[in-house]
Amino acid sequence: MDSITFLPVEKFILAVLTAAAVGSFSFEVYRRLAIVLKGTGSLPFDRFPERLLRVFREVILHEKVIRERPWPGIMHALVFWGFLVFGVITLDHFFIGFYKPLLSESAHKAYSYVVIPFSILVIFGILSLSYRRFITQPKALGKLSPTSGLVAFFIVTLMATYLLGEMDISQYLWKVNWWIHSIVILAFLFLIPRSKHLHLVLGPFNIFFKPFDQPDHTAVHIDLEGDEDELDEMLNDLTKLTQNQALDIFSCVECGRCTDVCPANRGGGILDPKNHFILDLREPLLQDKDVAVLDKINVEAGWECTTCQACTEVCPVGNHVEKSDEIRRLEVLVEGRVPQEYQKLFTNLQETGNTEGASGSALADSLPVFTSDKEYVLWLGCFARHGLDPDFNRSVENFTKILDTAGVSYGVLEQEHCSGDPVNRLGDKLTYTMLREHNMEQLAETKKVVTLCPHCAVNLGKEYEKYDKVNYTVEHHTQVVGRLIEEGKIKVQMGDNGKVTYHDPCNLSRILDIVDEPRTAIQSATSEFQEMKESGRETLCCGAGGALWWKKETQGRTHLVRAEQVIESEVDTVVTGCNFCYGMMKQGLGPMTPEGREEVVVKDVADIVAENLI
Amino acid sequence: MKIAVLVKQVPGPESALPINDHGTWVDEESVTFVMNPPDNFALEEALLIKEGKGDGEVVVVSMGPDRVQKVIREGLAKGADRGIHIEEVGPIEKDPLHIAKRFTAVLKDENFDLVLTGLQSDDTGMGQTGVLIGEMLGISTATLAVETDIKDGHIRLKRELESGWFQWVEFPLPASISIQSGLNTPRYPSLKGIMGAKKKEIKTVSCTELDISSNCQSVDKVFVPQTSKHSEVIDGEVDAAVERIVEILKSEIKVI
Ligand SMILES: Cc1cc2nc3c(=O)[nH]c(=O)nc-3n(C[C@H](O)[C@H](O)[C@H](O)COP(=O)(O)OP(=O)(O)OC[C@H]3O[C@@H](n4cnc5c(N)ncnc54)[C@H](O)[C@@H]3O)c2cc1C
Ligand code: HEM
Ligand code: HEM
Ligand code: SF4
Ligand code: SF4
Repeated sequence: MDSITFLPVEKFILAVLTAAAVGSFSFEVYRRLAIVLKGTGSLPFDRFPERLLRVFREVILHEKVIRERPWPGIMHALVFWGFLVFGVITLDHFFIGFYKPLLSESAHKAYSYVVIPFSILVIFGILSLSYRRFITQPKALGKLSPTSGLVAFFIVTLMATYLLGEMDISQYLWKVNWWIHSIVILAFLFLIPRSKHLHLVLGPFNIFFKPFDQPDHTAVHIDLEGDEDELDEMLNDLTKLTQNQALDIFSCVECGRCTDVCPANRGGGILDPKNHFILDLREPLLQDKDVAVLDKINVEAGWECTTCQACTEVCPVGNHVEKSDEIRRLEVLVEGRVPQEYQKLFTNLQETGNTEGASGSALADSLPVFTSDKEYVLWLGCFARHGLDPDFNRSVENFTKILDTAGVSYGVLEQEHCSGDPVNRLGDKLTYTMLREHNMEQLAETKKVVTLCPHCAVNLGKEYEKYDKVNYTVEHHTQVVGRLIEEGKIKVQMGDNGKVTYHDPCNLSRILDIVDEPRTAIQSATSEFQEMKESGRETLCCGAGGALWWKKETQGRTHLVRAEQVIESEVDTVVTGCNFCYGMMKQGLGPMTPEGREEVVVKDVADIVAENLI
Repeated sequence: MKIAVLVKQVPGPESALPINDHGTWVDEESVTFVMNPPDNFALEEALLIKEGKGDGEVVVVSMGPDRVQKVIREGLAKGADRGIHIEEVGPIEKDPLHIAKRFTAVLKDENFDLVLTGLQSDDTGMGQTGVLIGEMLGISTATLAVETDIKDGHIRLKRELESGWFQWVEFPLPASISIQSGLNTPRYPSLKGIMGAKKKEIKTVSCTELDISSNCQSVDKVFVPQTSKHSEVIDGEVDAAVERIVEILKSEIKVI
């Protein structure tokens, strides 16, 4: 349409409108970035290729958007891909107004073969999303938002005006159409930074910067002998978001996936990670123009979190959602407000180094003591050491039977104290410091540690490393068992356990990324293996994490949801790889099994393997 | 408002309790000690009263060997203003009257408006200390408080009676009150509190300085309850059963 010309006054109006829209857009984005940059720490650029790859998979391929919600996910992908396709057209559109088309007539024509189908797909996509939002109204999306309607209307108008523009219409109509399209684009630009649609700008960056470790809570260094001003400053910083966390808050698209997967929420608790950990902080950030907003998190909700990381795993725009660590450490270290049952737990740990306040361990006494000629330190953890579920003793014995059969030497530490997982997750970083320092001394000469407790594995490895140089390697027993089977060091036969499923412990799958080894081990001992509905990194927490094991009065039934799923899956045996899951599962299955049905048997990976050793 | 809280250090509920070689008390070497739970509530109540008034002083007082400094520090970390350590050397005193005399000697010149004790200590469980101190100081005294309300110069108390009954009493300050567990939600020492506690004063008074003579009570023997299978179920007619019981009391146990 070379013949179309724009009057100077039109160009002037276009210039003014464009300047206003771009100016307002830039100002709003700048305002938010200025706040983000006040955060502690800095945005990471390490492991650059890996980060780029993640952006490709999660932004361009829309992996996470689609995985959790396939239909809306694909619909959104259509809008998103359409959007990318329209980039050039959009530029061209404004070039026409200001100067002359960017694309030659033939190029425009050729490209339109791509763009026209896409524009129809985009209309289909956005109408589907709107149908879902305004007609189906799933709870997760939250209150009806007029902005979403406006954006859908904008996008449909943009598509419609584009399609009209491609048709053979009068010059007058074409121009009117052109103006409508331009004004909608500019209005859209105006709207984006003021709404959740800012995610389309920040999302890709946020996915790029997302921490590789989850959870990724900052270390809290406490030096009681140190300078008091330093301590004050440290305590002061505990209310501040990191840059990464602040960027999360503005990137959230309010889709509610995090709340949908949250075990506390599903179990009937009040915790709603989308609001409590993300959106409740957005207004305070903008109002205070500062990042010291962590004290705005709902405390009661914070105590309900199992720290399972399901929310962080699922977020499609790369948010590290879970912030229970942040609110709990504020409560414990700054406010001194701690639920009574946890005060008892803390006192036990300070006085005796174990969660139960016990003065000895029969299990530890029955096992060989570690000496430097042995290969592994067998780390028991409080759960096994002090019989939080006495039946678990058998699982420990089964694991030692496997090691003995394979000729692997091991011993326990006489002075093993709690790895500190409960206090670390509950925010008592002072007691954590005590326990960590004690254990680091005990492990000073150690090269290899193996443990049946994923919580201990996470702390002895990843968490201690945030504070000190760790000279040993930590393995979970399922890794060792899986390897012994693969290397042929132990031989396992197919046993009869009926239908077997595996419950992935969240600390194992989502935090340590161990999902294959337990399966190798289980499948060597059973031919009737089936997956649970939510498995691997998408597993559902048993309800014991985040030290909720010790919380006597839990709201709702967080600890029963998973057991219920196990019963529904109609298996005979459920295998797990975590002592807490083992205990929790048994507690849940007992009362939940319907009358007349055989109770599902709970086993550790070590049990099913040891029982079928040849 | 000047408040003294008597805080005892006792073996933790989960602690092992081996008996010492002389069979007179537990072997303290293998015991883990904690703050006596009811005293924790008394301390919280004192802090709440002070915070409610907006000014005042809370003094933590504990008697025992060096180890009890730990519970005094804990009290200071939670917000008490200073501590007094009545230092015992050798075995700890278990006679409530003797204990109360020592406390009275230390407390009398301080002119406290309120002396709060726990209802009883988890180790000896006598529950007399607060009452005896109140009597010896010549001030108002009450036990088993489940709610407190201070108005100028007076204290109103809700006391727990038997079988779910409660009683409101009011009397003038100064007073010595023993506090029932569960009337508030004790706080946890914050990190700032722990740091601040290091700079707070703990005055040490030696028991030998107090010059208090004569024990009314002493512990002869401490032992683990013996389990034995001596049980007899008495059923049948009420009259016959009563006769049988009286007979046992007379001829077998020989108490009547
Ligand atoms: C459930 C229950 C019901 C009972 N019912 C009855 C009953 O109906 N009739 C009856 O006669 N008896 C009853 N008793 C027993 C009675 O409570 C005690 O035998 C006795 O009266 C209390 O002795 P005491 O003064 O040594 O107090 P303790 O228990 O030794 O101490 C009370 C408080 O004094 C302070 N204190 C003591 N020593 C120290 C120290 N060294 N440092 C700092 N502070 C200290 C603390 O605040 C402590 O909490 C009952 C006991 C229990 C457990
Ligand atoms: C980030 C915000 C956006 C900006 C800055 C923008 C900018 C532009 C520009 C400059 C044009 C003119 C192209 C031309 O001259 O032909 C254009 C065209 C178009 N845009 Fe966008 N756009 C944005 C978002 C969207 C979205 C989200 C959609 C819908 C999915 C969309 C759909 C369209 C369509 C359909 C046309 C073609 C209209 C025509 O040729 O007449 N745009 N856009
Ligand atoms: C740049 C182009 C993009 C456009 C035009 C766009 C547009 C939209 C629109 C219109 C919605 C619907 C909102 C509603 O229903 O209220 C939406 C939601 C969403 N967007 Fe985007 N978006 C873009 C980029 C992205 C990116 C890069 C991601 C993340 C990888 C993303 C993730 C999401 C998610 C998860 C939702 C919620 C979908 C749901 O309702 O379940 N978007 N986006
Ligand atoms: S970590 Fe788990 S329990 Fe906590 S908010 Fe996230 S999903 Fe919920
Ligand atoms: S935090 Fe992530 S998952 Fe949760 S609502 Fe926001 S965008 Fe969705």
